[in-house]
Amino acid sequence: MDTNLTISKGIFVYKTKNIADYKRKDGTDNVFADQLWYQSFKSVWTKVEQKIEILNDEMFTGLLKNLVDSVKSSFNEKVTEVPTKTLLTGINMPDHVALFSTLCKEIKKSVTPHIAVLHTEHCSTLKNLVESAVDQFVNKVHSYESDGDELKSKIRKTYCTFAFLQAWYESLHGSTNSKRKTRSVAQPLVIIIPDFENFNEKSLQDFILIISSYLNVLPIILIFGIATSVNAIHRSLPFHVSSKINIQVFNTQPSHLYLNRIIESVLLTEDCPFHIGGKVFQCFTDIFLYYDLSVQRFIKNFKYAMLEHYSAHSIMALCTFSHKVNRVVEQLSDDDLAAVKSLQSVRDHIEGSDNFEETLIQGVQHFYSYLSMFHLYLKCLHSLVHSLPNCPLGKQVRELYSTATSGEITQSEGYIEAFKLLGFHSKQELTEKVSGMCLILEDHDGDEIQDVLAQLQEHLVKLEDATTEVAEEPKLGGELMLSEKMNRLQLKQKLRELTRAPKQLSNYDKARAALIQYLQDVFDKYLRHPSSVPFYELFFFNNLSIRQVLLGSHRSAIHTALNNPSYYFHCDCCKLTDDGRISASMPDISILYKLHLEYGKLINLYDWLQAFVTIVDPYIDSGEEDAENRPVSPEVHARFIQGVADLEFLGFIKSYKRKTHVVRLTWGG
Amino acid sequence: MNSVQEELQATYPCRKKQIEELYNLFGYGEEPLVDAVYVYGSSSTGKTSIIKSLLRGLNLKFALVNLVECYTSKILFESILNQLSDHKIDVIKAQPYARCDNMMDFVANLRKCGETVDLSRAVIVLDKAERLRDMDSNLLPAFLRLTELADLSISVVFVSEIVFDNYCYKNEIVTPIKIHFSQYTKEEIIEILCLNFDTAREAIESSYGAELSITEEFYRNYLSVFLSVFHRACRDVSELKYMAKQSFVKYCEPVAKKDCELSDSLALWKHIAPVLKSSLGLLYMRISPTHQENSSTLSITAKDSQVQSLELPYYGKHLLIAAYLASYNPAKEDKRLYMKYHGKKARTKSDIRAKSKTAEQLFTQLGPKQFGFDRLIAIFYAILEEKVDLNSHLLVQISTLVELRLLAIVSDNSELDNRKYRCCVGLEYIEAVARNVGINIKKYLVDFN
Repeated sequence: MDTNLTISKGIFVYKTKNIADYKRKDGTDNVFADQLWYQSFKSVWTKVEQKIEILNDEMFTGLLKNLVDSVKSSFNEKVTEVPTKTLLTGINMPDHVALFSTLCKEIKKSVTPHIAVLHTEHCSTLKNLVESAVDQFVNKVHSYESDGDELKSKIRKTYCTFAFLQAWYESLHGSTNSKRKTRSVAQPLVIIIPDFENFNEKSLQDFILIISSYLNVLPIILIFGIATSVNAIHRSLPFHVSSKINIQVFNTQPSHLYLNRIIESVLLTEDCPFHIGGKVFQCFTDIFLYYDLSVQRFIKNFKYAMLEHYSAHSIMALCTFSHKVNRVVEQLSDDDLAAVKSLQSVRDHIEGSDNFEETLIQGVQHFYSYLSMFHLYLKCLHSLVHSLPNCPLGKQVRELYSTATSGEITQSEGYIEAFKLLGFHSKQELTEKVSGMCLILEDHDGDEIQDVLAQLQEHLVKLEDATTEVAEEPKLGGELMLSEKMNRLQLKQKLRELTRAPKQLSNYDKARAALIQYLQDVFDKYLRHPSSVPFYELFFFNNLSIRQVLLGSHRSAIHTALNNPSYYFHCDCCKLTDDGRISASMPDISILYKLHLEYGKLINLYDWLQAFVTIVDPYIDSGEEDAENRPVSPEVHARFIQGVADLEFLGFIKSYKRKTHVVRLTWGG
Repeated sequence: MNSVQEELQATYPCRKKQIEELYNLFGYGEEPLVDAVYVYGSSSTGKTSIIKSLLRGLNLKFALVNLVECYTSKILFESILNQLSDHKIDVIKAQPYARCDNMMDFVANLRKCGETVDLSRAVIVLDKAERLRDMDSNLLPAFLRLTELADLSISVVFVSEIVFDNYCYKNEIVTPIKIHFSQYTKEEIIEILCLNFDTAREAIESSYGAELSITEEFYRNYLSVFLSVFHRACRDVSELKYMAKQSFVKYCEPVAKKDCELSDSLALWKHIAPVLKSSLGLLYMRISPTHQENSSTLSITAKDSQVQSLELPYYGKHLLIAAYLASYNPAKEDKRLYMKYHGKKARTKSDIRAKSKTAEQLFTQLGPKQFGFDRLIAIFYAILEEKVDLNSHLLVQISTLVELRLLAIVSDNSELDNRKYRCCVGLEYIEAVARNVGINIKKYLVDFN
């Protein structure tokens, strides 16, 4: 009977389908799937993700094209060294994997089917290295050609040597030895090493020597992915090896440029109604610049902030694309509408009206138009100020954005400074910048923009015509001349007076001042702080507390957990009124931890145990004399030992040469 | 009779003596073969190519194996047998001629092979023979007396870059006949490089058009100019060949521009000297300019651009600087360097002596010392103005630096308690990094205080 039972409970292995399929399924089966906010989130996020993907593809195409072309042409002439392409990828390029897999695909498509990708973990020795490379060349093609007898044609790994590779290649393409010069090699063998720095130097050196000795029979190309600089090659390869390869360097875009592109062309556009406020944005870019330079992580952080924002309340569903707003408003409940009404920006700006839904739709649509203007003029401002000396407003659009969303940009110091500098510009510089701004405006239509554009062009024409000569003849001209004789003192006085007299403005100066005034007016109008616009809270995420989540600090977290367990347990029993108190209801390890904080460098185990016992098992009834000497129950003893072992595992204490004591590893009292 | 020898002399000039010696050993069919020949000399002196062409010219059956490739001795045995028996590796089965796991199998299979194929007067050439030292210890003695063991008239040629005495064998072993390939002299190198005159002329024609015709004499002059710079640094013929090809087009540039005559060697020298000097730094590097940026050959020499090409996060740079400081300062000086109020230090006699220390005693010259994780973090916080959490992202940076080979782990990998590191970057490099984040590194280095 029992056996039957076990059989029915047997575990069977099913071959799973692609993991990606499961993921997609998860998306639809999500617990939040029918929540309004989730639908909005989903649609916005999918759009953002798509755009990022498109951007990635665009970014890599140029580089890949160059690389693939050079791979194609590297055996057109007779070579004496192994052609080697090095790809400077930069550290933490988020799409390292994606980049190399696209590269493989490209090469496979247009150059050769023979590709081997070598990863560090498979190639610790030369033997593994050669076998894995040859195995990838030989066995992949076999399985590719005939799926049916895939197993039959598989070559055992021990046979995968270069001699075999040569035989295999010659059987495919004919002997290269004889007709080498006449025939251009159609299908070279490409070996890709994505992480060069991690590779075992010694085996790689030998590998290159082997390749170069086979170069006259096997057309092999190496592709290295290098994170640091080309010097890494010369550091790890000695002269006699590096003289066997012929290096060509290809640069990828540095990751901060990549981030700028993503921010400018995906996150700060109409395609993403969700925005992060200035402080949070600043925090994200700080994490990026200071900690890891990882664009992938930036995007993850952005997504996290987005989830946080949407899941806060169902009214956040309103933060969606403008064509969907009506539908969302229809689905909002009365409570939700009340919640929208109680938003700070709504209370400040909108009078109680009868048909709130109508106002809501209008207000949100108005916010969209405000946002698109905001982005547009931010770009305009960027084109004006990014090349100013000392960059008072920063060089990047993202810096402008973070200033503009964390306070009134037109009141900021940098802005005032920047316009002061603009006021000193020469005609040519200023015209150039303003026409650059006009170019940006020209791409957009809309009456307001056209109006601004026309005004700007008018100003430009005036600027062009204006001369730098002073408009009217100075009245005091005669006096200025040093016609009459003066003594030194008089001359000094005269000159001093001259400096005090207001400088005559030229036509150009006037036109410039007018233009700058006009520009300031425009920016004043469109670059208001978003919080001054109703429904601001729906679109901007400003909760800086997610910094703690994104930049977890493990030490303080462990300390809090052990020192004050109710912080994480949310239980009432362990609530502490005072940090120094210890209650018996806490977990043992917590009690021990709090006790150990009171000791110095060395902790006497017996004292510790006694202190533990008095807390866990207080002996109230007994008299004072035997409180010290009463036996410790085995159960409490075991709990103590367990707790001490846990603390040792966490690295707070370690054993000492005297068995009666342990050493405290963190800073003692 | 000696047509083979003459042909070889023509293709490989300046190797007359060696070719003669080799020919005497292998060239006379009626005489018995020697057991073993040991050919040695520094790299690219023509050892392997001469032996290969000689054996080919004499129509001898031979097997040539590069020992770099033989990470197991099995591969060595099997590829020798494959070559001697003309065994073609089957693409489907990939079976060798015979499986040999050790020397005994090999000898047995060699005998068996000798029954079907005529193996008398066959030669086995072992290239890069110095690798034998790292392989099974019985290989060298066994190959030296292979004739005895296999009972076949087989000769083994060892080609190596080291002298035979460096194979430290305790047992008495047979000493083979040694042939030394001496290094080429300057004149000989010119002679050899002149063989490339035709390709050089083609290169000039393709870049400047056909009207610029150069003579061999002109090319010879160029080579002597070229070697006056390079000969001191490099004797490797193949490397010199490559470098000579690289700079020759540059050398002819003023002539093509009609700035000076072909015969005006002084003006040409003035023009080419700086180019040669700068390319001396690129010896063995082999970086060919890409179409993306033509100045890449120049840019890699500049340290600053190198630092810029390496992008590290802000804290990562600080960690690297801290690691450098920890590596090149003695730990006892830390307090004085990084704390504002470190108390006064009494000047002792040893201090005054230390002031006048020589360059060998400078800490920056003494090479990186190892340091513990705690010290690294402490210095990191000392040089960083603002306060940051010690969070896991910061700690990950350290392992990233290790991965990038900017730091190296010195302690055992299994020890997690107190890891020890060492900084792997130089002073120039770290100076550039420090300048980038606005730190004056010399302020923190004991040697400069």
